[in-house]
Amino acid sequence: MDQMFVNIKAALVGLSDKVFPDWVGVLVSIAVSIVAIALLGPLIMMYLTLIERKVVARMQNRIGPNRVGKYGLLQPLADGVKMLIKEDIVPRNADKVLHLLAPILIVAPALLVFAVLPFGRNMTAVDLNVGILFFAAISSIGTIGIFMAAWGSNNKFSVLGGMRSVAQMISYEIPMVMSVVPVLLAVGSLSTNAIVEAQADWHWFVFTPWGFLGCVIFFLCGVAECNRSPFDLAEAESEIIAGFHTEYSGMKFALFYMAEFMSAFTISGMTTTLFLGGWQGPLLPSWLWFFLKTYGLIFIMLWFRATLPRLRVDQLMALAWKFLLPLSLVNIVATCIWHFLSDEAFFTPAAFLVPLALLVFSYWGLMKLNQPYMPEKRVYPLVD
Amino acid sequence: MFFGLGILRGMNITLMNFIRSYTRKRGSGEIGALTTVQYPEERLPEKEKFRNFPFLIYDDKPEDLRCVACDICAQDCPPRCIYIVKETDEAGKPMKKPAVFDIDFTVCMNCGICEEVCPFDAIFMDHEFEIADSDRHDKLLYHRDDLLKTNEHFHKIRPNDGREVDTRLAEAKEAKAKKDEARKKAAEAKAAAKAKAEAEKATEAKEDKPPETEKESDPQ
Amino acid sequence: MPQLEFLIKCGVYGLMGLGIIAAVGAVLLPNLFHAGLALAFVLVTIAGIFMSVGAEFLGMVQILLYVGGVMTLIIYTIMLTGRLGAKDVRAQNRQGIFAAIAAGFFVCWIGPLILKTGAWPQRESDSAPPLLSVEDLGMSLMTEYVFPFEVLGVLLFAVLIGAIVIARQDRPS
Ligand code: SF4
Ligand code: SF4
Repeated sequence: MDQMFVNIKAALVGLSDKVFPDWVGVLVSIAVSIVAIALLGPLIMMYLTLIERKVVARMQNRIGPNRVGKYGLLQPLADGVKMLIKEDIVPRNADKVLHLLAPILIVAPALLVFAVLPFGRNMTAVDLNVGILFFAAISSIGTIGIFMAAWGSNNKFSVLGGMRSVAQMISYEIPMVMSVVPVLLAVGSLSTNAIVEAQADWHWFVFTPWGFLGCVIFFLCGVAECNRSPFDLAEAESEIIAGFHTEYSGMKFALFYMAEFMSAFTISGMTTTLFLGGWQGPLLPSWLWFFLKTYGLIFIMLWFRATLPRLRVDQLMALAWKFLLPLSLVNIVATCIWHFLSDEAFFTPAAFLVPLALLVFSYWGLMKLNQPYMPEKRVYPLVD
Repeated sequence: MFFGLGILRGMNITLMNFIRSYTRKRGSGEIGALTTVQYPEERLPEKEKFRNFPFLIYDDKPEDLRCVACDICAQDCPPRCIYIVKETDEAGKPMKKPAVFDIDFTVCMNCGICEEVCPFDAIFMDHEFEIADSDRHDKLLYHRDDLLKTNEHFHKIRPNDGREVDTRLAEAKEAKAKKDEARKKAAEAKAAAKAKAEAEKATEAKEDKPPETEKESDPQ
Repeated sequence: MPQLEFLIKCGVYGLMGLGIIAAVGAVLLPNLFHAGLALAFVLVTIAGIFMSVGAEFLGMVQILLYVGGVMTLIIYTIMLTGRLGAKDVRAQNRQGIFAAIAAGFFVCWIGPLILKTGAWPQRESDSAPPLLSVEDLGMSLMTEYVFPFEVLGVLLFAVLIGAIVIARQDRPS
């Protein structure tokens, strides 16, 4: 059960080895991985839309889609058909080439990142030894796509949305990468596989103080990176229509949507890999563990969306630069302390408490420093 | 307290809503219970004051509908979606009856002004709202016969209003009958007086010369 | 597996070709925004070439820093400068001579190095582990090259503070 998919792939490659020369086998192995990922991405996205609508509906005391198929299970297909047969409108003064290329350039990185996600034991498509770096680098390409969409549409709202989105992405990338550093310090490798292996036997990093904080920072920055609520200023409906994809319709719009949901999935998957022990877990097959944890995190994203109102631009920037970034820097120090106190053991009281104290103290300090300006309550002596 | 506490509180509320949407009975009205009514299969009970499109009312036979084609509603309808043509008899004289009474439901904005202004209680707002059609030109232009509905129907959808209108109509009828009677009586009295006067004249004529003083003092 | 090697070779040469085309585009495109995008594409292809010769770390850092950071900022400024997308804005300057001289110096400097490396791909490195792993890189940065590293750190720190000083609003007196 655990190695089901790995065995299937091995069987396919073995089959081709019997008939063709061995170099075809390598190609088949690559092709199988690519096809699996290329199918998995859209599939995950389609059902994420359904899950999102269902969960948010439940939180708002509604039922959610339940007409197409049992429990609305075919709703994504219906949506897909609708998107495909919709008219594709390109604004007259748009930069046609950029307008066309932008959605592709946004989806491609979102899909590429799947390559380094460890979906289960031996189930990383490409076990790069710079996996985490690959993840950070490739997701940063998405900003270029957003630029192209914003500029190519020749629309003021698009440009505004693009500007916001990019400012946000650049700001949140820094605390995000900084919050990964503790994990790299603890594991000593950039490979996603090695990071998961290091968390065997319930040594999930989230159970350490620095791991917990890193997990929260990474996840929050990830939510901001994929422009999801409450950080969805780039597509704030009430302010700038739909931001950078205002001028998109039909399948191109669906591609933007797809990129957003796929990056929501990869962010959750990466958080799982880095802090929640990846596919490690008892009893159940490893890939099931991975998906359980990832969908748990996705649920939290939807939960955010159903609860929190959108941030203001200055609040957004303040959160990244004045709170998350210093905290993630302190977190690195805390990890070093943990590393030297714990003496190769995962849990020792001293190694647990000292970083915890440091983190709580810096949290408190930053909170005090970030105290928002509260104007004094006005008194009107003449009125009273 | 600490940074983020308010967020956690808010998230607790949405989570409780999420859980209660499964544990509490739908439609029970408890906090967190689902409020959705699955429309085509389930419906909320209609409220009496609910109003949609107007219909024409008739009492017994479709022929004697209450509308007298006075055109008041057509004049007052804000989007002017009522079109009325009077019926004429063989002689070409207009009758108190509409030959054509069209309402364009694509234009009607459900304001209910027609009901309010009609002095004859002939047009009322219906509860029928599922009139959607794929043809907006013919199917949604309702003619006189499509609009006709009985008084019973009116009573069924709006019992209180029905009773009120009926008593008002009955009172009006009674008043009218009384007035008619009074008028009849007056007419009779007048006729009688006239007859009497005539008779008197006749007798006077017989007497040749009426006394002048007597005639002057007569009005008193 | 010579066939696979051939495929990889084709891919790398394709990448190089695309890179050169994009580089020419970055210089010649009349629209500054397009030129910026072309430059970003050049950087991506260079990262691809790095990765194909086993320098994955370098390739990734190239993308992360240059495409994700520097190029984004450049394009950001292009977009902020409202009228630059207009037709009448010149994207070229008239410093071809100086540029040619600089390019000539660069070629003279790097040409001998290129000639020294020999044929590509080098057979020996196929089975051998990568010459420089990430750990080696980190180690040498922290031991052998720690002084330049620190100097660069101080420089960047000074730049950061300078940026804050410039960006800070003047206090209302
Ligand atoms: S419905 Fe009423 S107001 Fe309208 S024409 Fe008939 S009698 Fe007159
Ligand atoms: S409800 Fe209003 S709009 Fe509709 S027919 Fe009556 S007066 Fe006209």
